[in-house]
Amino acid sequence: MTETETIKLSDYATAKGFCLTSAFWMMVATFMGLLGATELIAPDMTENIGGLIFGRVRPLHVNMVLFGFVTPGLLAATFYFFPRVLRTALYSEKLGVFTVLLWNIMLISAVATLLSGHSQGREYAELIWPVDLLVVAAFALVVFNFAMTVTRRTEPLIYVSIWYACAAAVLTMLTYCLGNVIWRPDGGALTGIPDAILLWFYGHNIFGLLLTPLSIGVAYYVVPKAVKAPLYSHTLSLLGFWALIVVYTHIGTHHLLQVPVPTWLKVVAITDSIAMVIPVMAFLINIWYTAKGRLGAIHADIGAKFVFTGTIMYFFVSIQGSMMALPQVQRVTHFNNWVVGHAHIGVLGFSGMIALGGLYYVLPRITGRPLFSRFLADFQYWMILIGVVGFTVVLTTVGLIQGNAWLNGETVYRVLPEIHLYYVIRAGLGLLIFSSALFGFYNIVRTIFTPAGEAK
Amino acid sequence: MRMTPAVIFAGSVLILAAVVTIVVVLPFYHTNQTKPSEIFRSRTAAEKAGRRIYINNGCVYCHSQSIRTLDWGIGAERIAQAGDYVADRPILLGSQRTGPDLSQEGGEHPDDWHMAHFVNPRYTSPLSIMPAFEFLGKKKLENLTAYVQSLGFRAADKRVKRQEKWKQRAIAAYEQGPVKNVQWIHDHLPAPWRKLPNPYPTSDAGLARGHKVYQDFCMGCHGPIGDGMGPAQPYLYPPPLNFTILKDRGVSGGILYYQIMNGITGTAMPYFKKHLESEKIWEVGNYVAEYFINQSDADTDDGGIDAAYEP
Repeated sequence: MTETETIKLSDYATAKGFCLTSAFWMMVATFMGLLGATELIAPDMTENIGGLIFGRVRPLHVNMVLFGFVTPGLLAATFYFFPRVLRTALYSEKLGVFTVLLWNIMLISAVATLLSGHSQGREYAELIWPVDLLVVAAFALVVFNFAMTVTRRTEPLIYVSIWYACAAAVLTMLTYCLGNVIWRPDGGALTGIPDAILLWFYGHNIFGLLLTPLSIGVAYYVVPKAVKAPLYSHTLSLLGFWALIVVYTHIGTHHLLQVPVPTWLKVVAITDSIAMVIPVMAFLINIWYTAKGRLGAIHADIGAKFVFTGTIMYFFVSIQGSMMALPQVQRVTHFNNWVVGHAHIGVLGFSGMIALGGLYYVLPRITGRPLFSRFLADFQYWMILIGVVGFTVVLTTVGLIQGNAWLNGETVYRVLPEIHLYYVIRAGLGLLIFSSALFGFYNIVRTIFTPAGEAK
Repeated sequence: MRMTPAVIFAGSVLILAAVVTIVVVLPFYHTNQTKPSEIFRSRTAAEKAGRRIYINNGCVYCHSQSIRTLDWGIGAERIAQAGDYVADRPILLGSQRTGPDLSQEGGEHPDDWHMAHFVNPRYTSPLSIMPAFEFLGKKKLENLTAYVQSLGFRAADKRVKRQEKWKQRAIAAYEQGPVKNVQWIHDHLPAPWRKLPNPYPTSDAGLARGHKVYQDFCMGCHGPIGDGMGPAQPYLYPPPLNFTILKDRGVSGGILYYQIMNGITGTAMPYFKKHLESEKIWEVGNYVAEYFINQSDADTDDGGIDAAYEP
């Protein structure tokens, strides 16, 4: 850490904008999740309201979580630490604010197109071509702002958080174009088995090249700052960074182990899924050894508490993910709610927690005042922690019921009543997460917009 | 290692390019020459329009089109092959089975069953948690039905033809009145099944279990009192059988069992042999016999060795 706390380098308009974006869209995203979960227990609740059928609500939930809540949340913290660790002003706050604006236009278009029944029908690549262009443009602006800031740095050494942020932005911009087959505006897909291979290459990289590196970048910034200790190992930083880019990009085909794709490609995917232990543990050992003996400091800062919890979730979701890539495990877990549970540990427990942690860590430093309510943030922490652990238990249980029942010859239809109760509990937990988003939005808005007269 | 901007940006992009070559480009050239499988045919305009509706409404989030070697349900007779997907843009393998796999759905049911099912899935399938699609309107539902009936391509065409052939005969029989209709159904059963009484004794517990099965599988068409006036009835032709007029028409336990097991192709009556095991079929049959037909032949045959559980 080489920044100087006393030098105020920026007004952080971009970071604030992404804070508000994330807090607002977290409400939308979690509401859509709650709505979808409720429709699974009461399918006629929204009968014949076309825009709200499950098949349109689910992709909206997923896209809003990925691009509305988590990514902007992580970008908020990133746009805060970027100029600080590079000891320069952000290349252009105006461009940053414009990016925030464009980002929100993109999100509104995504809501409008998905709910009105316009979809490319490919998971994580549902958004139609005009919206794709907005996504790519937004990422291009982020890349440009990042790159220009890096070149104007006055700090000669580039800290590991910057590596991850730059790589996440540029690689996601590229894989988004590739995965959405952006050169074919009429449908955005290849044909047949090659489409499945490309889709899951891209789909897995939304986690591997966007959420994970951004989250790791934020954790690498927040944890050493919070515990006031230097990073444990530069070598582990290097190993984790390069291993992540090499290994994570190989594993998408583990979604297709039961599909007729080339066997050698399955072998590559399974092998690298196991090898994910390397980048995961390199990062975790580094961050946990940095915090070793200093957990009191983590506990004292609500932002750091969210972030550190996120790193623990990262451990669980990654070990589980490596295990789930084994064909014998997939016989039971494929096609059912086990995978949905896995997704919630990853995106809510790991990157969502770190996104919120980043927000709560940087907000007081951006505004120069403490959070509006530390209690509310702490309350939200527990709601999300209970929610995500609950999701894990319930959805894993449902997955095991479904998977084993199917293997035992029970039809999908017949298993539905067996999982109904768990779906009710899941919707209850969804209500918990949605409520926490409301608290978070209120807290963040009150923190940023203080009553007139209070000095900045 | 000194991490400069060039190392970070160029390094990560070069790695990505190398990985894309290995896991996207090479597999592309390995798989893009896949030959169509023996069941493949191209889709009609209506089927293509239906596929678009399927995509836009997110059917893929609950229905896979990817039969695996370990599957038991609908379509499990044929493991998916790469050559089945050569015209699929995008491919719709799916990642969840909240509903059944649809790879081979074409011809499993006649069109009118699909219409009732799309208007509200609980009309035909009371346990279903699928959304109602009546809001799409008739034209779109017809296209969607055309697409679903094409799943399985030539294999589906064969099944659809079979549905159409038997539908004509079932309608002809129905239009001759209830007596001839029942006679027609009985005539198409293997003789040993016609004569076979329900071998198990009637019991309160068994009737309660039969009642549960009836509610979960039968009530949407045959109605809560077995008169064939369930909510799906207005959409189905020939309409669901009215059990309450079948007394003294020779409906044996064996006939009930056989029809529940195999369904009546051409009508909306599906086969339930994948959903229900033997005991459940006997018990729902006896429930229908006792409560709706008001005549059961359960345990009337005293031949054979008594089963160990008989009272």
